[in-house]
Amino acid sequence: MSARTKAFAAALLAAMIVLAGCQAVKQGAADVMAATGKISKEDAQSLVQTADVLRSTFADITDEEEYYIGRATAALILSKYKLYRNDSLSSYINVMGTAIAFSSDRPETYGGYHFAVLDSDEVNAMAAPGGFVFVTKGLVMRCGDEETLAAILAHEIGHVAERHGLQSIKKSRLIDAFKVIGSEASRQLNSEELAKVTAAFEGVLGDVVETLVERGYDRKFEYEADKLALSYAVRTGYSPGGLAEFLKGMEENKPAGRVSGWFKTHPSASDRLARAKAETAALGAVPVKLDARTARFAAAVKAVR
Amino acid sequence: MKKPARAMTLVAMVFVVFVFLLAETVVVKIKTTSIRKDPKFTSAAVAPLKAGESLEKLETRSGWVRVKTKAGVVGWVHSTAVEARKVNLTAMDKNMQTQASAGEVALAAKGFNKQVEDKYRTSNPNLDFALVDALEKLKPTAAEVDAFLKFGRLGEYGGAK
Repeated sequence: MSARTKAFAAALLAAMIVLAGCQAVKQGAADVMAATGKISKEDAQSLVQTADVLRSTFADITDEEEYYIGRATAALILSKYKLYRNDSLSSYINVMGTAIAFSSDRPETYGGYHFAVLDSDEVNAMAAPGGFVFVTKGLVMRCGDEETLAAILAHEIGHVAERHGLQSIKKSRLIDAFKVIGSEASRQLNSEELAKVTAAFEGVLGDVVETLVERGYDRKFEYEADKLALSYAVRTGYSPGGLAEFLKGMEENKPAGRVSGWFKTHPSASDRLARAKAETAALGAVPVKLDARTARFAAAVKAVR
Repeated sequence: MKKPARAMTLVAMVFVVFVFLLAETVVVKIKTTSIRKDPKFTSAAVAPLKAGESLEKLETRSGWVRVKTKAGVVGWVHSTAVEARKVNLTAMDKNMQTQASAGEVALAAKGFNKQVEDKYRTSNPNLDFALVDALEKLKPTAAEVDAFLKFGRLGEYGGAK
């Protein structure tokens, strides 16, 4: 077989492997090629290994895996914060959040979006991968109208849509997990593999929760989520002024000394405010505020005030 | 025909079939969703869908895919709910079987999955997964979202600029 044919066959096979991205296909395709003498067995195996290495970054995490990471992240957040139980507020925030998610770039996630209020006076909002969005009672109290709360929810949906939480996972951890997951053809993990993957899972959760609760996202992700918040809010039909209004309030009421919650995990409000104003100006004609929305917001959040 | 040329033709043919199959069929990649009458979330659901289900792709329009189920139901599903089907070339080679087998779905699910969550929960009994399950059940209906949009003059009911 000429070197050119071999290279051509290998390139096509590699393309199929990349497109398929599944162990059975990778091994199956390579076996077919090797069995028919198109490429040597060694070449086939090295192509399969190359394809395995490809599943190594946050982008290779499937929607279903993201869902399980998100569920455990939500459980960990709920171990640090108490849930605020109020059926009418919960229903209001879920309907509003879902309406915004429908207008986002990623309306469908494996388990869907779910919104909840945390019983804390701290001002904070967090989104677990896959779509569990939490806002504190303290944050809701800072919102003067529906546009402001919509901007916060849209910002958090932006983090989910762009998989920012998953991007905080250390690459080495994923490489370790994918090595175990992809090494055997068996469909169930044996106990040793399960222990290894669960250890990697715990590490993944540590990275995600530390970012959401303690350290905050990379600055560029916050700016990106702000930009998406404006876009999603306007697409839903909201005035884009909600984000600027919230940031202005945060800047004016900045606590002195040691900060926690939102102030600790987010870049300076004044910096974000300047960007938000410039981006809003660039939007052109946008929807305006509506009294009926402000009134239903006031009725829904009455309990927390 | 020379042997290398024949080999190249064969490989190219396999590739063409592969790309053809990949382009025409999509698989549901999220837990559950619906096929909708029109390409919008507030449109009436015409059939439920669950992860792993194969659908024939008919057309795409601004983020939505018009699909046909095996039962013949036609409607719209959002592009973020589906992915191109993964073809099992081993099965194809044997008997040209083109349906994604249950095994393939199980294999795709191998990773951070229920098995891993269960193991994690055993070693972290303090975590309240029942509460997470309860939050997951909070899922407004399309009619509730539609009423919310209508009352607040949002979405298709908006217009004041």
